[in-house]
Amino acid sequence: MIRGGRSYVKSPPSFSNDAKKLLVCTGNNVSVFSAATGLQITSLEGHTAPVTTLIVVPASSAAQKILCYCWTASLDGTIRHWDFSGPELLKTVDAQVPIYSMVIPCLLSEPQQLDSSKLVAYVSVEDTSLVKEGSKELRGHIRRFNLAKERLPRGDTLKETEEPKSIVISPSGEFFGIHHKCKIHVWGVPSGGGSRNALAKKMTLHHTKVINAFAFHPTERIIAAGDVTGRVLIWRSFGNRKLALASQKKNARSMVDLDNPGVRDGDDAESCTTWHWHSAEVNVLNFSSDGAYLYSGGREGVLVVWQLDTGKKKFLPRIGSPLLYFIWSPEPTLSSVVCADNQIHLLKMPSMEISRTISGIKPPPSLPKMYEGLSSTVAFDRSSGIAALCTENYCVQLYNLLNDRGISEVQVCERNHQPGDEITVVVTAVALSLDGSVMSTTEVKLPEDGIGGLVSLKFWESEPDNKTFTLSTIVYEPHKDAGVSAIAFHPTRSMAVSTSFGGDFKIWVCNSDKSQTEKDSSWICHAVGSYKKKPMTAAAFSGDGTVLAVAAENVITLWNPVKNMLLSVLGATLTPITKLCFVGKSEFLVAASNFPKPELSVWNTSKLSLSWSYGLRIEAVTSAVDSSTFAVLALVPKTFRKSKSKKNIFRGRDGAILLFNGSDPKPVSIWTVMKAQGGSISFLEGDKSQLRLAFVNGSHEYVVFDPSSDDTHERSAIDYEGLVGEEETGDFGYTSLYGQLPDYDKKRKEDAESLATPFISSERPWETIFSGSTLNFPPLQKLCGEFFESLMEKSNSVVE
Amino acid sequence: MEEELRVRLNDHHQVSKIFPVKPKSTAKPVSKSESTESRYWSSFKPHSIPNLVSSVSALAFSPVHPHSLAVAHSTTVSLFSSHTLSVSRRFSFRDVVSSVCFRSDGALLAASDLSGVVQVFDIKERMALRSLRSHKAPARFVKYPFQDKLHLVSGGDDGVVKYWDVAGATVISDLLGHKDYVRCGDCSPVNDSMFVTGSYDHTVKVWDARVSKWMAEINHGSPVEDVVYLPSAGMIATAGLNSVKVWDLIGGGKMVCSMESHNKTVTSLCVGRMGLDESAENRLVSVALDGYMKVFDYGRAKVTYSMRFPAPLMSVGLSPDSSLRVIGGSNGMVFAGKKKHAEKKQTSVMSFWSVNSQVEESRRRALRPTYFRYFQRGQSEKPSKEDYLVKESKGVKLTRHDKLLKKFRHKEALVSVLEDKKPANVVAVMEELVARRKMIKCVSNLEEGELGLLLSFLHKYCTVQRYSVLLMALTKKVLEMRAEDINGKEEFKGILRNLKREVNQEIKIQQSLLEIQGVIAPLMRIAGR
Repeated sequence: MIRGGRSYVKSPPSFSNDAKKLLVCTGNNVSVFSAATGLQITSLEGHTAPVTTLIVVPASSAAQKILCYCWTASLDGTIRHWDFSGPELLKTVDAQVPIYSMVIPCLLSEPQQLDSSKLVAYVSVEDTSLVKEGSKELRGHIRRFNLAKERLPRGDTLKETEEPKSIVISPSGEFFGIHHKCKIHVWGVPSGGGSRNALAKKMTLHHTKVINAFAFHPTERIIAAGDVTGRVLIWRSFGNRKLALASQKKNARSMVDLDNPGVRDGDDAESCTTWHWHSAEVNVLNFSSDGAYLYSGGREGVLVVWQLDTGKKKFLPRIGSPLLYFIWSPEPTLSSVVCADNQIHLLKMPSMEISRTISGIKPPPSLPKMYEGLSSTVAFDRSSGIAALCTENYCVQLYNLLNDRGISEVQVCERNHQPGDEITVVVTAVALSLDGSVMSTTEVKLPEDGIGGLVSLKFWESEPDNKTFTLSTIVYEPHKDAGVSAIAFHPTRSMAVSTSFGGDFKIWVCNSDKSQTEKDSSWICHAVGSYKKKPMTAAAFSGDGTVLAVAAENVITLWNPVKNMLLSVLGATLTPITKLCFVGKSEFLVAASNFPKPELSVWNTSKLSLSWSYGLRIEAVTSAVDSSTFAVLALVPKTFRKSKSKKNIFRGRDGAILLFNGSDPKPVSIWTVMKAQGGSISFLEGDKSQLRLAFVNGSHEYVVFDPSSDDTHERSAIDYEGLVGEEETGDFGYTSLYGQLPDYDKKRKEDAESLATPFISSERPWETIFSGSTLNFPPLQKLCGEFFESLMEKSNSVVE
Repeated sequence: MEEELRVRLNDHHQVSKIFPVKPKSTAKPVSKSESTESRYWSSFKPHSIPNLVSSVSALAFSPVHPHSLAVAHSTTVSLFSSHTLSVSRRFSFRDVVSSVCFRSDGALLAASDLSGVVQVFDIKERMALRSLRSHKAPARFVKYPFQDKLHLVSGGDDGVVKYWDVAGATVISDLLGHKDYVRCGDCSPVNDSMFVTGSYDHTVKVWDARVSKWMAEINHGSPVEDVVYLPSAGMIATAGLNSVKVWDLIGGGKMVCSMESHNKTVTSLCVGRMGLDESAENRLVSVALDGYMKVFDYGRAKVTYSMRFPAPLMSVGLSPDSSLRVIGGSNGMVFAGKKKHAEKKQTSVMSFWSVNSQVEESRRRALRPTYFRYFQRGQSEKPSKEDYLVKESKGVKLTRHDKLLKKFRHKEALVSVLEDKKPANVVAVMEELVARRKMIKCVSNLEEGELGLLLSFLHKYCTVQRYSVLLMALTKKVLEMRAEDINGKEEFKGILRNLKREVNQEIKIQQSLLEIQGVIAPLMRIAGR
């Protein structure tokens, strides 16, 4: 089983001392990437909850640069010390409460005397004992923590806030602080870190807007803070009075009466200046290592460099995504900027060029309301395990699911994406041919006040050996001004079909066989078809490609794709069909419809009749090419999930993957999953022997697993993660839980005519089934029947 | 895995990119303009020689370098230099010249005129060396046999083909057989005594000078206007009416292929090589009264190139080094086309003989720091084959409206592109503005002059099918939003009136198209059954 698609950007990454490695927090692990190639070298595994903080022990001398030690803190309440060259876990300290942020000042201030007994960390924790629904308790605590004593004394709490805050430390290790609403609280680290009683001195800086980020100057007493309106404030010589050391106190006192320009509320600072360039909130602030420049960035996706003395600016524009962090490496020519779209860009420094990108899976684009649920923004290349995902910046990202690595990006629409702008151009669908050599995309330009809307369909072709797609054909307005509802590729020939809401579908063929060179190949319309001018909503080719099924609203029409002949029409479903899929090479056809009445129906194309149907809301359908299994991703209704007895089964999961075999209406196995809304599934069949199922959820996390294997072993791992509240996809094997029991064959009507299959209502309501000992559970097959009955609205009348 | 690593390392993932506004790509033409064939034929740089008095009846190239060109027009034969296309000599005749021909060494020139006289000139002298008088009707063609310097073949409207002894100015043999005017002929490119003649009696006859009867006969099916030997000498091509036919002589006079893509009578044929290399293929070039020149690939029986000229065409010629393509029109124009680098080959041959001078030259060019050129040395150096080229990544080229769009000066971008008068670009900028949700704002901000610019653009292009979806909606919006400004000015009212007329006309066209569709649709349906 392969899991992936984790966020690289939940917490800031960190460079190793020789600047050759970049450590990134990825969920429960820390992944170590090479800065030169951008490939993952190794990962530190051990935490059982997401890692929140990563501190690389800095080198004090050139000789120590090869040392690879780091501290990590996690939500599982442990702090761990690693040697990441190995990788090897050196030490685990249990703090017992989830840690949201941690700083270790003495690593920075006194790197020479790294006496582990005197290591003091300041941690931002959540007091879990106070967690109550809706309580206004101050749950976030900033505490002092002695790493040697492995104990978190209660008394050492410096500050309590509503939520756990992230702690910022000055590069010199003298100060640390948090931002809280409109204030910045700064503490001075007591010198001679070992002494127990020396509590940190505190001061506060005030502002009128909510502060989003702040940073300390590496050498001078300067704090830069960014607020939600985009202003950058610079306080100079802060804490002369309150944080002064004893020896300096006398000088400080004499300065009290001075007029301090720009400083509010008698704060302890000499002056405060404001810079305003950003139009939206400032998320990133960082001083350069020599303190001459200030780097700032925010939602606009522009990195701004301020010369600190003059306020002059330089820009790195068009990054295309909100910036989250900017970090320096020990090497002066290398730095890194982390973006919200799961990309870590390595910058070549004085010139600020992006030299390399460590690219995680990109988050799904936010689509306008009218396209929600209609678009298919994920496509799979079954043989190589590559997924093509539509992204926010009008690109299609090709992501290798098996290696968990971004391969390349195809710019579908030649525009720059500006985060925060109104969405006017949408890539609505992407489809890949079965061999993965042809990709098709559709994009919609939304009109402004009725002017200038445009739908275009594009075909992309790739060389057989590499996965870089080049544009082959653009079709403007493929179906007049109507939107494209679905694209499907022929399994063997270079042929595709696009259907539209305007009531027609078009079959496209590649004319490359006529011309000699590959470059001349282009896609041209081969045939146009329509059925009673009904909107065409879905299309699928049969396994051998001889039949094309097109859903005309609520009937399924079967066509001969080459001769463009209507073969037959399958009877009507109640609601418009949104998904169609042939089951392997068999005669069965799966159709799913969502609105207003969800339905999953399986049709027999040789008998031209309905085999069976369920009242399930289906998000995605896939079928294996060779075998007759197919899988659907169903959304579990909210009302059902919330009911008491099932809470422990679903645990926040909102969907289920059901695996069916051929015409059998009973699912072979079921897995419950998280964030199924907007998710998609596909079989991957790389090598002939192994059939795997890939599931990409609504936030582009994914899992690839073998549906046929008995995953008792895996279940334990999944359950564990579920218990600790890991925000990952998890599956839950009913089969493994209850075991395969002897046949309990409940007769189900496979009658052709019965559209609404009458379901036998059980004597026992579903709620009572799970009460009692697990040993007394009824057999799986019975459970499934009941389970699904309870999902469906019961229809009492049988339609004749 | 390794391969993937390599791919990954090579990808230059550039995040910050600037995309210039591009017009929508349009459908490519069906005949591929970019085939090597058409590239070759369109690479002749056009030169035209005007001021020739009347129809250019014949053209001939000298077989030796520098391949000077003889043009027969009216009662004159003009000799042009093939380099400069300037007249170097004129020969005048008593009547209209019908045909002209060079001897194989290029030293002599024979021409026939409508008085029936065939004259032979030295190309360096004015006066005729010989006047061959025997034709009783206008002489129509004259030809030197291949490499034979002593004889001539001529034919005329008296239907007789004559074989001349030039030195003695006597007819060696009168070849009888044609029943109508003999209008054309050609001599075999491999044999001195073989030649063909074509006549208005629809036949082409193959003659041997050693026998007085024709050896073979081919019926073209219409009066033969021109006949040429193909380079192998085993085949000939004939032109008559609007068809060109290729015949296999050795195979007993069978037709190999025919080309009938001209619309009017084909007047002249010639054979030329595509380039100078060994592998270059031969093509048959034909011109016709419909003003088209067509290049015919007789190997594949396909017309590979066709070009239109603004006059009926009378004659065609390709220089033996294929650097010059000349076509004579009936209005006295000569449409010449010159290839640029055809001369290079020649100079390289020349430099072989002038090694000494080049060595001297290079010594002279040795640069010293006192020369100004010393400081510019090497700047225009061309990379040699084995040099490794480090490519500089080219920046995106931005036009003025792109730069303005980049600075978010939307209205100025729109105005600047409107001033450029390239409709595709204007529409592309408008689409970009729509995508930025700034179009409406731009329209409302336009000043009076700029509004006029926009209105006249809309008037011109709003009914063009490619742009109409966007422009029709925009026109409506503009009229709605700026009604007051437009009403206020007389000049705008004129534009508006025109716009209205344009739209009405378009509606009429649409209606008539619908009518036609209504007529056709039932027919199509019946045909479909």
